Amino acid sequence: MRPNDRSYLDSHEWAQLQGDVATVGITDFAVEQLGELVYLDLPEIGQSVTRGESFGEVESVKAVSDINSPVNGEVVEINSDLPDALDPLQSDALNSGWLIKVKVSGADALDGLKDAAAYEEVVASES
Amino acid sequence: MDTSSPETLHQTPLAARHRELGAKMVPFAGWEMPLDYGSILGESRAVRKGAGLFDVSHMARFLFCGPAAAAELDYALGGSIMDQPIGKARYTMILQEDGGIMDDLITYRTGEEEIFMVVNASNRIRDWDILTSRLDQTECADLTEDGGGILALQGPESHRILAELAGSSDFCPGFLDLAELDSPFGALFLARTGYTGEHGYEIFVTAEQIDPVWQRLVELGAAPVGLGARDVLRLEAALPLYGHEIHEGVNPIEAALRFGVRGWKTRDFVGGDALRALPEPTRGLIGLTAPKRVPREGYPLYCGDKLVGEVCSGVFSATLEKPIATAWCQLGIDGPLEVDIRGKRMAVERVDLPFVPHRSRD
Repeated sequence: MRPNDRSYLDSHEWAQLQGDVATVGITDFAVEQLGELVYLDLPEIGQSVTRGESFGEVESVKAVSDINSPVNGEVVEINSDLPDALDPLQSDALNSGWLIKVKVSGADALDGLKDAAAYEEVVASES
Repeated sequence: MDTSSPETLHQTPLAARHRELGAKMVPFAGWEMPLDYGSILGESRAVRKGAGLFDVSHMARFLFCGPAAAAELDYALGGSIMDQPIGKARYTMILQEDGGIMDDLITYRTGEEEIFMVVNASNRIRDWDILTSRLDQTECADLTEDGGGILALQGPESHRILAELAGSSDFCPGFLDLAELDSPFGALFLARTGYTGEHGYEIFVTAEQIDPVWQRLVELGAAPVGLGARDVLRLEAALPLYGHEIHEGVNPIEAALRFGVRGWKTRDFVGGDALRALPEPTRGLIGLTAPKRVPREGYPLYCGDKLVGEVCSGVFSATLEKPIATAWCQLGIDGPLEVDIRGKRMAVERVDLPFVPHRSRD
């Protein structure tokens, strides 16, 4: 099972909260489904993001896909090396392949997202 | 009935092999087929550098027999069949009365009164219906589900591998040649054809041959290759794909496929009158490369503010290590081109086709 130290969105993004900053990425399952990645588009620092809405795009040899935000807030940091070197996202999506950090309003920022067990059911249904 | 549900998908005789090799299986034209065995780009490179092996048993195989077969097919298809030599393959197509392309295909002249044909899986039923309706005295058989299949061995190492399998290197000296090759698995019917632009062979195997021949070719060094890399390779070679570069709204003249309608200026065939009455083409197929993102099917093509065309196919080229695409573009457009990627403009560069030179005659 995937780590339970974070929460998941049905569309295969994850968010991990530390204080009032959520680190956001896509899951290894999403990467596996996409295949070999060729392009990543990340937002600018300062841009606001909304849960369930697209903040970026990831493209593979096979397809282009929106990346949706699991949280509401403002982008305070981006993994700026990633678009030019996609290896960490390809091989380590849950850790070094993180995408953005978002300043959220409070500790309830992840409420309503799926925990690891519930996300596992989403994965099982799409595998 | 939902024909797209997994329960109703056809399986090739090699489906279990593909799974054993770790293939990602996907629905394609009513068949469950290997998309890749782990790496679309790696499999593409294997074909360009060594040899790749494709299971293309989903493609439909038809057989036409009888004293009138060649003459009737000459009328039913876009290309001339009457003068097709025994022992040679030819690329041609099925046209509508108005000259639009219903499908492209290969005919194999296996005898004076016998023509074998391979058509796209997605068009199998329609092609069968239209062809049988255009033929009168010819015996027609759909062999697609006889338990056999088609293995495509492609790449610069393919001759060596096939020669080792057969114990002879004396076969198919020329592009589009047919052969019956003795092998430890019985006689193999093969053609020097393919869909990659490389030197290669398509081997038409029986139900008894398909699995052992596949296994032996892999042992001899052919890398299993899925449909994902097949699309990359055919686009690098600028070989058209029905439903993308060509379809009912496209005629073979503007698509630069005159070789598929051999003799079109004088022969009597379905669509011939329409082709001869066509005005000069106003559009053509062009090649595009892009810096980072793949221009994908349906993306609009602009020259400044003017909409000048649309992308047909786009992939990330493993050989060129950058995105490539084909597009229909108005003729006479002479300025910087951009594609609209989901609302964002991206500059693209126009390049000559094919993206990767053909070596199929080498």
